Amino acid sequence: MSTTAAELPGFEAYVRSDGRVGVRNHLALVSTVALSNRTAELAAAAFDARRAVSTPPTLLVRGEFQRGLQATDAELLNRILTQLVLHPNIGAAVVLCHDRRAAQVWRRRVAGCGKAVEVLAVMDSQGVQRAVDLAVEALLRLEPELHRATRKTCALSSLTFALECGGSDASSALCANPAIGRFVDSVVAQGARVIVSETAEFIGGEAVVRSQSVSAEVADAIIARIGATEARMAGDGDHYRGVNPTAENIEAGLTTLTEKTMGAMCKIGTSRFEGCLAFGETPSKPGLYFMDTPFFSPCSITGMVAAGAQMTLFAMGVFNPSGNPLAPTIKVCGNPDTLQHWHDGIDVALADMIEGHIKLDTAAQRLQRVIMNVANGALTHTERWGEGQFIVPRMLPAF
Amino acid sequence: MPRIALTMHPSDNVTTLMDGRLDQASTHDGLLLKTSVPFGHKVALRAIAAGEAVVKYGVTIGVATTAISPGEHVHVHNCS
Repeated sequence: MSTTAAELPGFEAYVRSDGRVGVRNHLALVSTVALSNRTAELAAAAFDARRAVSTPPTLLVRGEFQRGLQATDAELLNRILTQLVLHPNIGAAVVLCHDRRAAQVWRRRVAGCGKAVEVLAVMDSQGVQRAVDLAVEALLRLEPELHRATRKTCALSSLTFALECGGSDASSALCANPAIGRFVDSVVAQGARVIVSETAEFIGGEAVVRSQSVSAEVADAIIARIGATEARMAGDGDHYRGVNPTAENIEAGLTTLTEKTMGAMCKIGTSRFEGCLAFGETPSKPGLYFMDTPFFSPCSITGMVAAGAQMTLFAMGVFNPSGNPLAPTIKVCGNPDTLQHWHDGIDVALADMIEGHIKLDTAAQRLQRVIMNVANGALTHTERWGEGQFIVPRMLPAF
Repeated sequence: MPRIALTMHPSDNVTTLMDGRLDQASTHDGLLLKTSVPFGHKVALRAIAAGEAVVKYGVTIGVATTAISPGEHVHVHNCS
């Protein structure tokens, strides 16, 4: 390892009342159910037209969040939304519910959380415009709270990194994933938390999990989740070629899921798994963790960000616009063709690794420089384009 | 200029083409191959029999569904 723990520099970020560190200071507007999405969109646009120049654009957290979910799915959705509201990249938040009862529950949920949070119910207003205005007024009240937060010098050990890949091709296995893996090794040694997910993309990688886990129990737990996903895919009776590997993976030359898995696994470096997490579960101590998630990246990233990840490192072969609006997504790519045509969506270019012009250590250092800049506030391309989604998985039919 | 082909592991029976010089018919290592195999796609390093394992990264990534000759494109049409 060329980068030792002592060499990793600090960065300026926001230390929250719970001790966690935010690399962004977002004012969030969280719509807890799809019914209130449009009110939230209109309120965010109206507030953005009035906010101070120094206030970042409203971070809109919304999805196709449903009512009528079965208990385990409803609990997961509520838990994930709560963790997102409390996420350290959010400085203050307006939680917008549809009905009054949901708002009461949310007020209890965020009481004493140490963050400026206002909870509103659309049904507390009279008229569509009034509902929008009330949300705008709440954002305006919270705006000064946001500016009370100040940046302090923080260590990389205060961060949780989400690892992701998308549009995988042969270059992902040679450039982006190994460079991320080398950075992961150095940052894990420094005491940070790192989460990797997408259970289906570990099918065929069980031997690597076995050799890179801190204990047989951890390996068994991860391999059991991989086995359960493989059994679900087989039991479904559908053909998964074209689903995973995806159509664009196949076009890019990846033939089987095992081939894709072997490339994807390079992003954990030589680090060892400390534990196996459920969707959105927060790592209890420093180190590398596996999270059991669906493979669709906007969904798996949502799980890792809800677990507290402040940044996402995203390895790319062919272009993929996925990301998360809350945790800056750093796009890393080694495919020369992608870099030529999609340079306005890529943060770290590593094509020179292919012809051997730079070594893995140099690539990891290039990645680390960008990570430090982003931790200090530099915007990623996904932030600039406003890319990214929040998707919470649902396992059971809704009522 | 021959094509850049990278072999991940000594026990692999496929190699991956890592450039866009699709008109070239050989690699740096002297492997003769068909032209037009795209960037990131694999070709056989040696003959692979139908039913034989296709090995990349030193692991079995799939099985040949037909006999594959040296230098032939290995993908979903002959490997699953």
